[in-house]
Amino acid sequence: MSPAIFYALVGVGLFCLGLYALIVRAHLLRKILAINVMGSGAFLVLAALAKRTANAAPDPVPHAMVITGIVVAVSATAFALMLMSKVAAETGQAVLPDGRSE
Amino acid sequence: MEALTLLQWIFDTLTGLGLWWLAWRALASPQLFRAVVLFVAFGLLMALAWVRLDAPDIALAEVAIGAGLTGALLLAALARLTAAEKAQNVADQSGKRKYTVRTSRWLPAALLSVVAAGLAYSVLSFPPSSAGLSVEVAANLDISGVSNPVTAVLLNFRGYDTLLEMLVLLLALLGVWSLGGLSPPRAAPAGLVLDTLTRVLTPVLILVAAYLLWVGGHAPGGAFQAGSVLAAAGVLLLLAGWRPHPGMTQLPLRLVVVAGPGLFLVAALFTIVMGRHLLEYPPERARILIVILETAAALSIGTTLAALFLGERPRDKERP
Amino acid sequence: MGVAVATVPWGVILIILPLLGALACFLWPTAVRSLGLVTMFAVVLSVAGLAARLITTGAYRHTVGGWGAPLGIELFADGLSLLMLAATAVVGFAISIYSTGYFQARQLARFWPLWLFLLAALNALFLSADIFNLYVTLELTGLAAVALTTLSGGRDALIAAMRYLLATLLGSLSYLLGVALIYHSFGSVDIAILAQRVASSPAVWSALALMSAGLALKTALFPLHFWLPPAHASAPAPVSAVLSALVVKASFYILLRLWIEVFPTGRGALAELFGLLGVAAILWGGLQALRATRLKLLIANSTVMQVGYLFLAFPLAVPTAWRGALYLLLSHAFAKAAMFLAAGNIIRFAGHDRIADLDRIAQRLPLTLAAFALAGVSIMGLPPSGGFVAKWLMVAASLNSGQWWWALALILGSLLAAAYVFKVIGHAFTQAEVLHASKRVPAVMEWTALALASAAILLGLIALWPLTWMEIGGPFPGISAR
Repeated sequence: MSPAIFYALVGVGLFCLGLYALIVRAHLLRKILAINVMGSGAFLVLAALAKRTANAAPDPVPHAMVITGIVVAVSATAFALMLMSKVAAETGQAVLPDGRSE
Repeated sequence: MEALTLLQWIFDTLTGLGLWWLAWRALASPQLFRAVVLFVAFGLLMALAWVRLDAPDIALAEVAIGAGLTGALLLAALARLTAAEKAQNVADQSGKRKYTVRTSRWLPAALLSVVAAGLAYSVLSFPPSSAGLSVEVAANLDISGVSNPVTAVLLNFRGYDTLLEMLVLLLALLGVWSLGGLSPPRAAPAGLVLDTLTRVLTPVLILVAAYLLWVGGHAPGGAFQAGSVLAAAGVLLLLAGWRPHPGMTQLPLRLVVVAGPGLFLVAALFTIVMGRHLLEYPPERARILIVILETAAALSIGTTLAALFLGERPRDKERP
Repeated sequence: MGVAVATVPWGVILIILPLLGALACFLWPTAVRSLGLVTMFAVVLSVAGLAARLITTGAYRHTVGGWGAPLGIELFADGLSLLMLAATAVVGFAISIYSTGYFQARQLARFWPLWLFLLAALNALFLSADIFNLYVTLELTGLAAVALTTLSGGRDALIAAMRYLLATLLGSLSYLLGVALIYHSFGSVDIAILAQRVASSPAVWSALALMSAGLALKTALFPLHFWLPPAHASAPAPVSAVLSALVVKASFYILLRLWIEVFPTGRGALAELFGLLGVAAILWGGLQALRATRLKLLIANSTVMQVGYLFLAFPLAVPTAWRGALYLLLSHAFAKAAMFLAAGNIIRFAGHDRIADLDRIAQRLPLTLAAFALAGVSIMGLPPSGGFVAKWLMVAASLNSGQWWWALALILGSLLAAAYVFKVIGHAFTQAEVLHASKRVPAVMEWTALALASAAILLGLIALWPLTWMEIGGPFPGISAR
């Protein structure tokens, strides 16, 4: 198994682990962490498989896509964190009410 | 050669398992502070994985943005949460019912195991070697204006994606400002260590950013990495208690934040008016155009990320 | 003149113009109203220009950067894109005018940059022919939509926005993982190239599942609809209008494109699943709308129901069904926006939107009630309206292809829609038990709601033209290829 496939599998695991935490955990900060872990997993799949070029340099297009994705992820995270702080300030808890955690 | 491959295998396995373990601990840790710190460690290990995958540009971006700035944002948000708002954790430990959904935890776990198995099977079915678009990129690299292929893709071949991505960053800032912002985390007066460190590091960080920006043309680096180092300098200054001059927080700040995507849009408009395709740089001017666009982008990205960290909407005279 | 129309890159203008407008509004908050309205008007003119170009020269493709796919990104417009762009421009323009009356000056300065960003993102989405570029535009759309939802503050809006944000981020990430699998299977992210190269494989199956799930979540297909009613109900009225009318349709558009272009083979089971979920959405959304005590919640659940109709086209899969679904999408955009704007008028007038306490709105806000009633005619699918034409096409498709059970769902849905629309209208004629003080509603708000509702009816009368223009470039299988 080449490193590319191996790290892509690691990425799949991270994606599913993040999704599990997103569904199951109630606290908003944990949900935001879970989204970030899922994002990292997807980025790993995207860029790890780019290393399958035989002996040459890896395919740069997925690398550019992942850098784009990282910036998009930090933007979304910053906004989500501020929204979470506002929800917590209004309701006294950083949890989405009515008991549902999604 | 055998020993090297074995060593690589051990390294990869440790890294992969380490990533899973850190992510799991970060998501399952009962204390939020510990969770955030573990997440930052996760980001650093990811950077190591990127280096192993021959992706140094991503590694730089991951360390600076993914681990560093995201970590700073998470800690700032955590500091804003009062003890009561963090207390969800207390209920987590004693009353499992508040911690999870009404349905059992086994259902999502079982479903996701199936999903993971399906995805793993798909990944394993990929052929072991595939060129992707590396051939096309290499063929057009000399007329792109830079020699780092990732920079060429980001700033030239798929520059339209980069434009939209910078707009996403600006939009996040707009969203945070329209929420009204909250007061920044209550900061103790900067002690001697933080003060000295800030004074020493800020010029160093600015130099490093400038270097990353310049070197991105022919080696790993580029606007995003440089911008995030600038943002780190900004965060350090903000933590040490520095605030921009009140006169600078209205139009000048907005102009700097807009400069990156704005310049891109102006370049786009020029290319259309000249009758070319959108963002089609004339090959002889490509290099200088990319340098200008990257500089503006780095400035904007740094300022926007630092402003996102501060979180506070700039006050002005008319509107409270 | 003809030469000018044919050579101007209207598609590019449609993206750049609102972006420049958004940046200008951000830099000069005091001039937002004029900057914003001028930009919106220019967008409407540009869509007209694009339509003229498509009608004369056929489908339009623009290679960004001069680099053709697969290296670069391409913009593409055919009849389907034109439909979406036209709906966005016209409904967006009407909502913009409405919002000048709805928001106070301070809020307008925050509204306009976000609004123009949303419109630019939607335009970029409908014009993109690159699945990774679509991911970036999806994120842009989602963030702008959530930011707009939080504009009026308030506890309910913030909670609903947080849920919406998490759902939209989850949908985008699922989509992105699908993009990763597709790229590494075929070496390109361009839709036209993928259409030629695609072949069945485990990776393609996984990508189809991931992208469908992510996009269905963003379109609020039952049972992934949980985030929509609170978000659309607690946002400010013009924002609710654009969310229901356009934003949920954007992810549906992408799903449709992928379905037709990139995943053409062996998806029978998934199509049937979409159909079943669509029926469930119709029933669930309709019942929840009947049970709703607040007007905006009723209208939001009606959106859940109408989204279900759209997904019935997947198992039907004949061109008539696609036409019907798209016509429904178009009419629903106008009708639902009109309904939300009318609800906004009622809230401004009475200070609340409890259906049981709609005190003689028929006499006191006749224009608003007329708008609501006309929009309701289209939602119910009564003639003459766009909704009727759409449902007629879909029922015809279902009967002709022998799958008559979908027609049952369509008719049942119309009955449910009639029930909840008449519930509102009935209360609007009666006197409430407790009288509330009322505030004046600006004329611009009432007239734009009425204009949109009239447009929904008009779509029933002029159906031939949109249906013809939809076919430019042959977006559907079975019709002449591009």
